[in-house]
Amino acid sequence: MKHHRIFIFLVLLLLFIQPAMADDDSVATGDLMNYIAFGSFFAVLLLILAAMLVVLRAFRVLTRVLLKHQGLNSAQIAAEMNPVKAKKPKAEVWQKLLSLKPLAQEHELLIAHDYDGIQELDNPIPAWFMYLFYGTIIFAIGYLLNYHVFKTGQLQYAEYNTEMAQAAIEKKAFLAKAANRVDENTVKLVSDPAVLASGGAIFKSTCAPCHGEHAQGNVGPNLTDDYWLHGSKINDLFKTIKYGVLSKGMPTWEKQLSPKQISDVANYIKSLHGTNPAGAKAPQGTKEEDTDKKLVANN
Amino acid sequence: MQPENFYYDNKIVRNFGIATVIWGIIGMTVGLIIAIQLYHPAANMGNQYTTYGRIRPLHTNAVIFAFVGNAIFMGVYYSLQRLLKARMFSDVLSQIHFWGWQLIIVSAVITLPLGLTTSHEYAELEWPIDIAITIIWVVFGWNMFGTIFKRRERHLYVAIWFYIATFVTIAVLHIVNSIELPVSPFKSYMVYAGVQDALVQWWYGHNAVAFFLTTPYLGMMYYFLPKMANRPIYSYKLSILHFWALIFIYIWAGPHHLLYTTLPGWAQSLGVAFSIMLIAPSWGGMINGLLTLRGAWDKVRDDVILKFMVVALTAYGMATFEGPMLSLKQVNGIAHFSDWIIAHVHVGALGWNGFLTFAVLYWLIPRIYKTELFSKKMASFHFWIGTLGILFYAIPMYWAGFTQSLMLKEFTPEGMLKYPNFLETTLQILPMHIMRSAGGAMYLLGVIVMAYNLTRTALQGKLVANEAAQAMPLEPANQVAREAHWHRRLERRPIQMLIAALLVILVGTFVELMPTLTISSNIPTIAAVKPYTPLELQGRDLYIREGCSNCHSQTVRPFRSETERYGEYSKAGEFVYDHPFLWGSKRTGPDLARIGQKYGNAWHYNHLMDPRLMSPGSIMPEYSWLITQKLDTSLTRAKIHAMRTLGVPYPIGYENIANQDLDKQAKAISANLYEDKIKVKSNREIIAIIAYLQRLGTDIKANKTVNNIK
Repeated sequence: MKHHRIFIFLVLLLLFIQPAMADDDSVATGDLMNYIAFGSFFAVLLLILAAMLVVLRAFRVLTRVLLKHQGLNSAQIAAEMNPVKAKKPKAEVWQKLLSLKPLAQEHELLIAHDYDGIQELDNPIPAWFMYLFYGTIIFAIGYLLNYHVFKTGQLQYAEYNTEMAQAAIEKKAFLAKAANRVDENTVKLVSDPAVLASGGAIFKSTCAPCHGEHAQGNVGPNLTDDYWLHGSKINDLFKTIKYGVLSKGMPTWEKQLSPKQISDVANYIKSLHGTNPAGAKAPQGTKEEDTDKKLVANN
Repeated sequence: MQPENFYYDNKIVRNFGIATVIWGIIGMTVGLIIAIQLYHPAANMGNQYTTYGRIRPLHTNAVIFAFVGNAIFMGVYYSLQRLLKARMFSDVLSQIHFWGWQLIIVSAVITLPLGLTTSHEYAELEWPIDIAITIIWVVFGWNMFGTIFKRRERHLYVAIWFYIATFVTIAVLHIVNSIELPVSPFKSYMVYAGVQDALVQWWYGHNAVAFFLTTPYLGMMYYFLPKMANRPIYSYKLSILHFWALIFIYIWAGPHHLLYTTLPGWAQSLGVAFSIMLIAPSWGGMINGLLTLRGAWDKVRDDVILKFMVVALTAYGMATFEGPMLSLKQVNGIAHFSDWIIAHVHVGALGWNGFLTFAVLYWLIPRIYKTELFSKKMASFHFWIGTLGILFYAIPMYWAGFTQSLMLKEFTPEGMLKYPNFLETTLQILPMHIMRSAGGAMYLLGVIVMAYNLTRTALQGKLVANEAAQAMPLEPANQVAREAHWHRRLERRPIQMLIAALLVILVGTFVELMPTLTISSNIPTIAAVKPYTPLELQGRDLYIREGCSNCHSQTVRPFRSETERYGEYSKAGEFVYDHPFLWGSKRTGPDLARIGQKYGNAWHYNHLMDPRLMSPGSIMPEYSWLITQKLDTSLTRAKIHAMRTLGVPYPIGYENIANQDLDKQAKAISANLYEDKIKVKSNREIIAIIAYLQRLGTDIKANKTVNNIK
């Protein structure tokens, strides 16, 4: 009973500790957590293996003790622990399945000649082996006929066209339903916190390496000042992100970010204007008035 | 006639055995290091000689040609003498063979970390070493056939058929795949380019597996397994069928390494069809082995050597079933370029080659030292830790391969890639890579225990360097009755056997290689594709030196998930000036076929200096020496000249002004970097490699930029 209480207490304790630990996870990075998690997973596996070995050992010892308790002497115990294995009946099912000759008749098949003591049997090639071989040959011929003679199967480029056509249909159907059809002409400036939060997350993962954590500029230009290389309007930003400026090293994001995501991140960048982050890169491009803001103000 | 007395040479067997164990430990240790590098980039040790790209080939070469190679020679030299009832033909040739082979391995250990490589997988060694390999291989063949000619046993046993096929096919493979044009003592260009080079390389690569890792080991299995189990071989007829079928069909299967590439469709389909037909001939060896153990399974329970053999045969059976399955294009589309393939080859390498080698060592060393194995317990420990090691290695890698491939192919309902950033998928599988290295470490630990056990065995015994034997000499051939069965007759004629094996493997070789190498319509050319500039060519050679192709492929397959991620799928005509091709076989990082102009020069500079600056969490090593090392332009002239000899249309005399063009382009890149506040001299290696990367895939790339949309 006492043990049960301790056990319940431990479980409860764990339950309470867990949320506390979760709150505190900023201390350890995601990577570190992964290492720890998989390290412990691995350790637990090994531990279970070790425990199984210990339990097995314990059972053997226990059996020995019990047998001794029943008054058996050590020779009898040894006999009990390692019983003489009864001869199992010959595995006739296997023999039939593999069409093998019984071992007793093996000597009839021995080829007289030997090589350094190695003899060979003159067993026929098993029929099932030949079926397997013929089966694969038929498959191979069928494969070639399918793709190259009857042309019923699609080769890689036809396959690709089918895949792309199918994807285009699915995409169109989806976009017709979803209000996701924003492009550089229809993108709107918004200050919805949800949009900015989503944009901020995308910025951190995709833009920060080149433009800096706070958009202060790094390999890419500062995005918080008044100077712009490719236009400061939300439409310009959308376009620059979508198509990139390959000659200057800005990648195309059209394939990696959805229109909604591009719009979010463009809005997030607009929201950073004038934040004057530390270590800002020197201005590049031309000074532009923030016409978007005026528009919003006028509205 | 009187029986003749003679002596078997056990010393050469012992020497090859020692080399097997030592190189095995070295090769596997390097394997463990590179496995750790894949989740802990600092394990690259911050210098160019130990980065992943350079020592991964060291690992593969060491385990294939040093560990398995020496094990083959150990097994062949032991069994051949006994099966032919004759001492090796010449002790001098045996010595040359042994020391020559070790010297080749040592030269690999030196040149590969130095970045001297042809980049052809499993054939990375540069041309002088290729020549040395050819010579030593001929010495091996000479010694083998010399022994066969002075044999005291009329018929050649099945093991020897496999040895003969191994000898002749490896010779053909090695020579054809090593046709290079030397530029300097340590640099050469492959004669074939692009698709043709890829086809030759994978015809070689696949059949190196067939005729270096499979046929000699089947031969060894046919000798050692009946000896170990004291049982007759199950079926002589099956031996004949599966031997000839195996060597005939195997040679065709190479193109399955190039599915969904620009290799012509008919060649791809032939590769698939023959791979499927390979199941039964491959399994013939396993079945003949396992059925030989019929009536001896009670021995397997007690005898650790037989346990090793059973796992080896089972691993062989699994790998040779999985191989054909992987060649089906639907499966291949998922598995290729992923960790799945790494799992597949390691089931074969660790299970089949490794365990069979260990079994032979445990069986043979006590015999030639006339003693018992030092510790059966240790051998048993080795068996269990090795088996667990294989499981801990293979399962996480299957898991990782499957996970990453599916992630890379996943789309959102909007029609966007769900994981557009390749790195995200890499980070997902790092825990599996950690477990894999634990599995590898367990396996290595087992080998070290074996080394100790065998050393103690040798120390407690005494080597019987020359083992006395007795046999009747052969009667003159004309006094022997003609045999009814055609194959029995063939077994008495080694030269006919050699020629028959050669003809059988040449059929597939010619049908597959010849059309692609000679008929130009198989490689449609593209007018927009131009030769590399001198700077790009130098950059490409740096890319080869650093072994970038060990982690980055350069071929975009026609899949939606790849064209969305990387751009237009690759065309055969894009690679016509690529001597050698650099498609790679594994995507540890993203494909680079269309990396050109995707990022700015500054991005590449920072990324090469420290990949984690631009891609946080990246596992790519740092390449800071590219910034400090000066580009060696002394070979530009020879390189341009060599390329023109190989058919790349540089104008006559261009080699004389090539370095001027090189300087001009380098200065432009350096000036461009300066705009981004990066000060680097134009004569540094990094400039050349940036030039090459920015060129990749741009010849036919349709650029959609803000500028050209307007």
